[in-house]
Amino acid sequence: MTVMTVIDLRNVVYQYPDEKRPVLGGIDLCVSGTGLTALVGPNGSGKTTLGKMMAGILKPDSGSVRINGRDASEMSLGEIGQQVGYLFQEPDRQLFAPTVQEELAFVSRVRGAAEEDIAGRVGNMLDRFHLSHLRERFPFSLSRGEKQRLVLAAILIQCPRFLILDEPTTALDVRRKAELAENLSDLDSEGVGMLVISHDHEFATRRASRVIELRGGAVHADTRY
Amino acid sequence: MSALLCVRDLSYSFPGKDSPLFSGVNLTVGAGEVVGIVGLSGSGKTTLCHCLSGIIPLIRTGDMQGVVRVMDRSTRDLTPARIATRLGIVFQNPDTQLFFPRVEDEVAFGPENLCLAPEEIDRRITAALKTVGMEGFRHRNPHRLSGGEKQMIALASVLSLDPRVLIFDEALSQLDAAGRKRILDLIGDLKRDGRAIVMVEHNPDNLVVAGQMMLLHEGTMSKFDGQWQRFAAL
Amino acid sequence: MQTHVTEVGSDFDPRAKLVAVMCLSSLAVVFQRPLPLALILILAVLSARYFRSDAVQAARRLRAFLWIFAAMAFVQSLFTAGGAPLLSVCGISLLSTLGLERAGSIVLRFLVIIVSASIMATSSPREIVQGLYQWRVPYELAFMVAVAVRFLPLLRDEAHDALTAIQLRGLKLESIPLRQRLQIYSYLLMPMIASVLGKARELAVAVEMRGFRAYDRRTSHRTLRMRARDWGVVSAAVLVSVGVLGVFMHM
Repeated sequence: MTVMTVIDLRNVVYQYPDEKRPVLGGIDLCVSGTGLTALVGPNGSGKTTLGKMMAGILKPDSGSVRINGRDASEMSLGEIGQQVGYLFQEPDRQLFAPTVQEELAFVSRVRGAAEEDIAGRVGNMLDRFHLSHLRERFPFSLSRGEKQRLVLAAILIQCPRFLILDEPTTALDVRRKAELAENLSDLDSEGVGMLVISHDHEFATRRASRVIELRGGAVHADTRY
Repeated sequence: MSALLCVRDLSYSFPGKDSPLFSGVNLTVGAGEVVGIVGLSGSGKTTLCHCLSGIIPLIRTGDMQGVVRVMDRSTRDLTPARIATRLGIVFQNPDTQLFFPRVEDEVAFGPENLCLAPEEIDRRITAALKTVGMEGFRHRNPHRLSGGEKQMIALASVLSLDPRVLIFDEALSQLDAAGRKRILDLIGDLKRDGRAIVMVEHNPDNLVVAGQMMLLHEGTMSKFDGQWQRFAAL
Repeated sequence: MQTHVTEVGSDFDPRAKLVAVMCLSSLAVVFQRPLPLALILILAVLSARYFRSDAVQAARRLRAFLWIFAAMAFVQSLFTAGGAPLLSVCGISLLSTLGLERAGSIVLRFLVIIVSASIMATSSPREIVQGLYQWRVPYELAFMVAVAVRFLPLLRDEAHDALTAIQLRGLKLESIPLRQRLQIYSYLLMPMIASVLGKARELAVAVEMRGFRAYDRRTSHRTLRMRARDWGVVSAAVLVSVGVLGVFMHM
């Protein structure tokens, strides 16, 4: 079995402009394109920053980030987005369209896919994420759990092979967390690689094949299961 | 000793909806009592908080039936300003409760609105910050503080009006473990100080300080039996 | 007991600064030619130094807008004929001395505004609200302005996040034709508007539950008092403005 590295970080250092010390102090990591990797650590350890670095949202002050072999700093966000999906903590920040259906369809349409093809894929995603009864609804009128499912569906409909989730369990109650865990489990079985960033240790490590713990901007522990 | 917060047969329906979000809610909270209400997302917890605090029907609309009495006055007979000196509510998101560049200004806001004398306002700021243990933060910018610290300031800015009843509407859900502990310790202090407190959360672990636990589920409120994991089963 | 905290720049009553800024802005509006505007800009920068504001940093942060203004100014100069032609193509005058003058004036005015804003930024929004309130501006109005000031930077962050999120759906904006790109940009408004409306609602409830607008009036914890140095600033601002007006009117 070959373990394909999807994201390769070499000696990544990053400091926010108005802070005194770097939040990441020289990280070396290879993240596999399959399996669920958990990134845990206390608040302020740099988890979210590292996640953003992996999606090319932030560029390292020094060191390099490679996505599928290519230097992330030479790729546009659009190009990265075709390979790596990113789920922000707040679903409200990533809902754009006037209806649930359009939310799933508009990117494919802009990229030139055929209408029948789009309709088919949208139908599949709606069923899969239990959103069919909401297809004509205004996305912002959905509950938080429904919004999160919608965003997840809208990212996955573009078939990225890797997904980064930033604190996906925030404000989710026990039932919604269980649903999310199931969705992630299904994705794992389909071969979609994932990185889950969470301060909810129990949730993140439950189905993880690898747990990376960050502390003070450095890798404190790295365990494979 | 009469209850500071008394709810009789409360029900609420969203405007235009026939079926109620919840109904038949009864609650009594006396001085020095903490009641915890737990419920899943969408169960109506925040709407319940709005009804308890008078936001419904005074600021938000909808069909509210039944009576909510805060210190013996029905919320329907009061104005938000009159309620403010009896009941204070802390919300989930600190960033939409804090809007001034200095902690002191934030805590002064309520008393200023109620036309208290400057000396009295000053005294209340000192007292409120002392209660939450943030005296040293008086001149700091609230937006630079951690989540837990921000919620303490939000609480202080409500305490400066000296309400006997306090409602916490999922006030802990955006905080980390350290932040939650601080607020819970503080709620313990406020309880010993004789205030009536209602806390609403979607995670029962956040309600350790509650003397009574209620469950809001599928439209009714009942005693919570402590079995929370059954909701995780799909 | 009136407590008053000393900070850099807030030694002055915000109303004194407001008068100085209003004088500078008024002068910048009255004059058209680059020469007086340059002088006003120098006065503005000197005032900024006096109030210990960081005008240079403010200008640097807004340099993107500066380019937009320079571009606008250049475009306007293309449509301004008059004065000696500097650049002609096929007999059509593209750039004239008058056009360049006008362009220069626009840029100078913009710089005066940036510097003035940096002077106001040395007072906390709470103080500015208090100053306006003591000048009989209705509290609600002043409060709204303070809240807007507090939330505008957040809006900018949200716009940035929305743009990031939409591209990470696999949209290569750089290779999308303009018309479709405009549609995508309109989609970006959705999360921003939703966020603003959501915040506004929550804020409105929070302030009402703390007695906002309970009565027609309210008291103030800290009252501003104009001191000698504040009156000094006001007098200097008015005198210098009148002087500058006088000098240039004569010419």
